[in-house]
Amino acid sequence: MAVNNVEQDCIQLSLPLNAAYVSAARLTASSVANRMGFSTDEIEDIKAAVSEACTFVIRKAPANASENFLIQFHMSGDIMTVNIQARGELRQEADEMSLIMIKALMNQLTIEIENDETVLYMTKSHTKSLFI
Amino acid sequence: MDYALDSIFDPDKKRWSVSIVGEVDIFNSADMKKSLTELINQKNTDMVLDCKYLDYIDSTALGALVGVLKHVKSYGGSIYLRNVKPSLSKLFKITNLDKVFLMEGEDDNGSK
Repeated sequence: MAVNNVEQDCIQLSLPLNAAYVSAARLTASSVANRMGFSTDEIEDIKAAVSEACTFVIRKAPANASENFLIQFHMSGDIMTVNIQARGELRQEADEMSLIMIKALMNQLTIEIENDETVLYMTKSHTKSLFI
Repeated sequence: MDYALDSIFDPDKKRWSVSIVGEVDIFNSADMKKSLTELINQKNTDMVLDCKYLDYIDSTALGALVGVLKHVKSYGGSIYLRNVKPSLSKLFKITNLDKVFLMEGEDDNGSK
């Protein structure tokens, strides 16, 4: 299947802070990663990392939060960047299992907390390009 | 996508044999923990979790399994994880839980 039409595209998903929809984020992550040509193993990594990021946001969200959170999948050549943006200052604890997993599964994880908003940035690039 | 547990008590080996099917995440991990805890409350024995049809497990589900394991260890029992897919065993390794659970492959019969 042709993959040359996804060079600079972005897909955005808006989800309620509800555990029931984390599987929707995994399905989307899996589909986008597949379209970008990631290997089966890499797709599983991305799927798990996106799932853990959603879990982190849902667990950390203030009890009265009602706004949806946003997931953006940016496709740029061989690199996928996923931004997860939520209302509130979601502070991490030292041994946060979700974040440990994301760091191990993705190439990079950055968390920015500013103006009552938290954004998780994570990237993954094709490893196969190293071997061609 | 949801999950299911298929459990049976093996009277010969005197332990629970449970197949986990589907995806376990933040949505249903508490339910899984409750169901597994009910089993070991019925009979304080070892437990074999067959993960052949387990497609996904997240950090909350791993935490739930650790909770069940603590309970099992409190009476001197063990939990064996069998047929964990490579993509999921990677998650156990990342979190160092591969050293906490007894991981078995396809050919093991769990008799060790």
